[in-house]
Amino acid sequence: MHLIARRLVTVGLTFLVIVTLIFLLLRLTPGGPFDGERALPPEVEANLRAAYHLDKPLAEQYGLYLAKLLQGDLGPSFRQKDFTVNELVAQGLPVSLIVGASALVLALFLGMVTGTFAALHPGRFIDVALMGFINLGLAIPGIIVAPICVLVFAVLLGWLPAGGIGTPQHYVLPIIAAALPYAAAIARLWRGAVLEALKEPHVLTARAKGLPPSRLLFRHVFPVAALPLVSWLGPLAAGLLTGTVVVEQVFELPGIGRYFVQAAINRDYTLVMGVALVFAALILIFNFCVDLVYRLLDPRIPV
Amino acid sequence: MTSRLTQTLFGSITARVMTTLLCCIVAFVVFVPLLSGWEAEAVDWDALESPPSASHWFGTDLAGRDLFTRIAEGGRLSLGIAVLSTGISVLIGVPYGAFAGYLGGRVDQWMMRFVDTLYALPFILVVILLVVVVGRNTWLLFAGLGAVYWLDIARIVRGQTLRIRSAGYITAARGMGASTRWIVLRHLLPNVAGIALVYATLTVPGIVLAESFLSFLGLGVQEPAASWGVLIADGAGNMEAAPWTLLYPAVFLAVTVWTLNMLGDRLRDALDPHLRRH
Amino acid sequence: MKTPRRLVLKTLLLLLLASWLTGAGVNALADVPAVHLGLAGEPATLDPHRYNLRVEESVLGDLFLGLTTFSAEGKIMPGAATHWDTSEDGLTWNFHLRPDGRWSDGKPVTAHDFVYAFQRLLNPKTAASLAYFMYPLKNAEAASKGETPLRDVGARAVDDLTLELTLALPYPHLPERLLYPTAFPVPRHVIDRVGDRWVKPEHWVSNGAYILRDWKPQQHIELAHNPQFTPAPATQSVFYHSLANGQNAYNRYRAGDMDAIAGFPAGELANLSTTRAAELRLSPQLSMMYLVFNTRLPPFNDVRVRKALSMVVEPSILTDKVLRSGDVAATSFVPPMVANYDHPALPQATVPLSERQVQARALLTAAGYGPDKPLNIVLRYATGTDGKKANLATAAFWQQIGVKVELHQAELKVHYGDLRQGDFMVAQAGWLGESNPEHYLGLLHGSTGDTNYGGYHNPAVDKLLNDARGQKNIVARHALLRDAEILAMQDYPVMPLFALATRRLVRPDLRGWHENPRDAHPARFLQR
Repeated sequence: MHLIARRLVTVGLTFLVIVTLIFLLLRLTPGGPFDGERALPPEVEANLRAAYHLDKPLAEQYGLYLAKLLQGDLGPSFRQKDFTVNELVAQGLPVSLIVGASALVLALFLGMVTGTFAALHPGRFIDVALMGFINLGLAIPGIIVAPICVLVFAVLLGWLPAGGIGTPQHYVLPIIAAALPYAAAIARLWRGAVLEALKEPHVLTARAKGLPPSRLLFRHVFPVAALPLVSWLGPLAAGLLTGTVVVEQVFELPGIGRYFVQAAINRDYTLVMGVALVFAALILIFNFCVDLVYRLLDPRIPV
Repeated sequence: MTSRLTQTLFGSITARVMTTLLCCIVAFVVFVPLLSGWEAEAVDWDALESPPSASHWFGTDLAGRDLFTRIAEGGRLSLGIAVLSTGISVLIGVPYGAFAGYLGGRVDQWMMRFVDTLYALPFILVVILLVVVVGRNTWLLFAGLGAVYWLDIARIVRGQTLRIRSAGYITAARGMGASTRWIVLRHLLPNVAGIALVYATLTVPGIVLAESFLSFLGLGVQEPAASWGVLIADGAGNMEAAPWTLLYPAVFLAVTVWTLNMLGDRLRDALDPHLRRH
Repeated sequence: MKTPRRLVLKTLLLLLLASWLTGAGVNALADVPAVHLGLAGEPATLDPHRYNLRVEESVLGDLFLGLTTFSAEGKIMPGAATHWDTSEDGLTWNFHLRPDGRWSDGKPVTAHDFVYAFQRLLNPKTAASLAYFMYPLKNAEAASKGETPLRDVGARAVDDLTLELTLALPYPHLPERLLYPTAFPVPRHVIDRVGDRWVKPEHWVSNGAYILRDWKPQQHIELAHNPQFTPAPATQSVFYHSLANGQNAYNRYRAGDMDAIAGFPAGELANLSTTRAAELRLSPQLSMMYLVFNTRLPPFNDVRVRKALSMVVEPSILTDKVLRSGDVAATSFVPPMVANYDHPALPQATVPLSERQVQARALLTAAGYGPDKPLNIVLRYATGTDGKKANLATAAFWQQIGVKVELHQAELKVHYGDLRQGDFMVAQAGWLGESNPEHYLGLLHGSTGDTNYGGYHNPAVDKLLNDARGQKNIVARHALLRDAEILAMQDYPVMPLFALATRRLVRPDLRGWHENPRDAHPARFLQR
C-alpha cells in the first residue's frame, strides 16, 4: 500500500511537470490563434485576447489554467467557439477508447496466437513464413494499410462502411487497420519470449513429465513469457495511440486523435493542451496499472 | 567485427537479397534525380495523372509530375531526414547512456527514470506539440525526431556500459588515476560503438516511418517538397483514379523499412546475441 | 492464481464489450427520413454574428431568416421583411416585417430584435470579424471602433413591424448585403438569460425554417424543423456532415450515406463526367481568383514588370487545359456573373497572343532585366491541389520569358495572414461574394486597408470609386465603377485569373436543388 501511494504521488508529479511543459511550449509559440482568413480590426483582436486572458502575464495565465484544471475545466476551444474543450473531449473520447482498446485486444490476441505458433515450431517453414509475414507487417505502416482497407473492403467490395460512425460495422475496419501493425510487433516479441520460456528448467521438467501441451502452455510457459510482454505494454499503448490518430484521420472517426491533429493545424491551443493532457493522463494511468500487474506477476519483485 | 558484418550482410541467400534490395533503393534514390529526363517539379501538360508509360515509368501524379523522379527525390528527403535524425539521436543517446551507466547509483537512477517517463509518452503527442511550436519546418522536424528517438539507444548503451564497467581493465584504469571523462571517452565509447551502430541501423527505419506518419497527417514535410509520406498521402487521396500514385511510393517505403529492419535484426543477433530484445 | 493472460484478456474483453455497447448505442443515427448534406469543412461557430467561414453561411441560412433571403434558385427574395422602400436620397430604407414572424419558442420577431442584432454585431465586445459587412449603416464603423455609442448606429425600430435603416452613403445593393448572417436577428430574450451559451442545442431559439437539434463536432450538425415557421419545409430533418477529405466524401456518397457532397478527389473528375454526368455539378460561382502584385516593393513597383507578367498568363489555358473543372476564365477583374454591369476587357486583350511574349520580353528589358540579370520572383499560394496545378502553370508561363520563379505554398490562414501583412512579391488570392462590382473593385481602393494586399493606390481610381459610392442610381453607379476598373487595370495591379466553380455530386432524386452563382441551397426547398 505504501508503495502504491508513493507511485501515485510520482504519477501526479509527472503529470504536473507535463502540464507545465506543454503550457510553456504553447504559450511561447509565435503567432496567435486568431490569424483568420479575413482581417481582424485591432480593437476586435484586443477584445478577443482579453476574453481568453491572453493579455495577462504568463505566470498569471498559468495560475488561472491550473486553478481551472483542478476543477476539471479544460477551458474554451479557440476555434470551435461554441464548444468547451471538455465538451469536445467528452464527445471524442468514447470513440477513441473503443477503437484503441479494441485494437489493443485484437493486436494482443492475433500477436500471441501467431507468436505461439511460430515459437512452437522454431526454424521450420511455418515459423519462417510467419516471421517473414510479420516483418512485412512491421514494415507496412498504418498510413498504407488504412487507405487500402478502405479501398478494398469499403469501396470495391462494399462489405463495410467507408467512414464515420453509427453502427458497430463502422468500427470493424478502423480497429483492424489500427491493430495490424501492432499485432506484428507483439507476435515478434511473444515468439521470442515463448522461446526463452520454453528453455526454462521447470518447463523442461514439466514436458519430461508428459504434461499435455495446453496445460504446459497456459500454466507454465505463458506466465513466464508474459513478463516481457507486460513490461512492453506501456510503450505499446503509446504506439497504439499514434496508430489510432492515423486511423481516425483516414476513416474520419470523430475521436480525440483527430481533434489533436486539427487543433495543431488550427493552432487551437486550449484544445491541443486539453487533448495532450488527456493522452498523458491515459498513458500514465495505463503504465501505473501495468506496473502493478508486472509486480504481481514477477515473483522476484516484492510488492 | 568486420568479418561478422560481412557475414551478416552476405552470409545467407536471404541476407544477400536484402542487402541487394537496399543497395538498389539507395542507388535509385541517389542517381535517378541526376539522370532522369524529368525534374521533380516539371509539369508534363500532356500527361496529367497518367498511368505508367514509356516516357513516365511510374506514371505521373495529379499535377503532371513524373512519379519515378518524385519517388527518388522523396527517398532522398525521407532517408536523409532519417539518417540525420539518427545521427542526432546517437549524439544525444550514446553519451547520456554512457554517463548514466558509468556513474551508476542515484545519478543513474534519476537519469533512467527521466528516460522511462519520456518513453511512456506517446510519440505523436510530443511531435505534434513540437510541430505546433516550431511550425512546419523540415530542419526542425528532424531535429525533433532525433530528440524523440534517442531513448532506446541511451538505454542500450547504459546497459552495455554497466556490463563493461565491472570489467577488469576499467578498474585498473581507475586505479591508475584516470579521470571519469577519459575513461568514458577512451574505454567505454569504443566498446559501445558496435551496439550503437546496430541500434542506429534499427532507428533509421523507425524514423522513416515516423516522418511518413507526420507528413501523411499534414504536419511534416510541406509541399512542394515531397517525402514518401507526402507522396503516400497524395496517393491515398486519389487511390481509385490513380492507384499507381499510392502503390509505388508505398512499395518503396515498405521495402526500405523491411530490409533495414531485417538487416538490423541480423546485425544485432550477430554482434551480441545476449541483447536479444525483451 | 489464474494465468495472467486469461485475466488480462478477460478484463480487456469486458472493458471492450462495455464500451462498445455504450458507445455504439449512443452514436447510432436516428432512423428519420432526412436529407444528408456534405460540407467542405467544419463550422467554427453557429453564432451568426461571429461567423467567418463559407460553410457556416449554408447552415446559418437554414437556422435563421434575415430581412432578405435566398430563393430556391439562389435569387434574393423577401425573408423576415415582406417589402421595403427607399427615400428619395437613397439614405433611408424602411423594412416592413411580416406580422407572422415567430421565434421557435413562439415569441414574435419584431423590429427591436433587428436593432438589437445590429448593435450586437457592431459591439466591439462581440469581436465579430465580419462586422464590416454592415458598415454601410450610418455610424456603424465608428461604433465598432468604440468611438460612438451603439445606439447612434443607423438602425431604428419605428414600431414593432417597421425597421428603419439609415445609411451614410446611398447603397442600392443593401438587400443583397442583408443576405449574410451578419444581418440575422438573434433572440435577445435567450441571450440575456444564458449569455454565450445560447448557441447550445438545449437553449437554441431561432427564427428560420430549422432549429439546432444537435451538433456532434467532426460528425454532423442535426437540424430539426421549426414548428413556428411557415410555410412548413418539405424535409423534417437535415444533417450537415463535415467532410473535408474529398476521398472520404466520395466514398460516403457512393455508399449512399450522402445526398450531396461538396467535393471529391480531383482525379475522379474525368471519370465522373462520363459515369455520373447527371450528378456532377460544376457550377461557376461569384468569385474571382487573381494574382496580386506587391506594388510597394521591387520588382513589382514597376508597372512594366507587372504588365509583362500579366500579358503572358493565359487564363483560358489554366481553366481549359490545366484545371478542367468548370472554372470560368477571367476576361475582366469583376467576375462575368455580376449583373447590370458592362464588363470592360482587360487592356492586354487587344494584343494578339503571338505578340505577347515578344512585348513582354521587351518590357522586361526596358525595366532592366535580361539574361544576365534575370528576374527572380517568389509566387505564393494557399495549399490545395488546384492551387498547385494552377500556379505551376503560371510559373511555367513566366519561365518562358526568362523569369526565374520559386513557388511557396502555405496553408490558407497563414497565406492570407502573410498577404495582409504585405509579406509577399506576387501571390494568388481569391475573393468570394456578391453580385456587385464594388465588392471586387473595393480591393483596389487606396484606403481599403489590408485586403488591398498589394497596396495599390491610384488617387484617380479612388476618386472614381468614391464618386460611385455617392450614386444612388445603379446605372450611374456602375458606369463610374466601370471607368474605375478600366483606369485601374491599366496599372496592372492584379492579374485576374478565373472565377471558381463548385465541384459537387448531387443525387438526381434530390428535388429543389438548383445551381446558382451564390451556391445557395436552402434546405427548406430540398426533398428526397
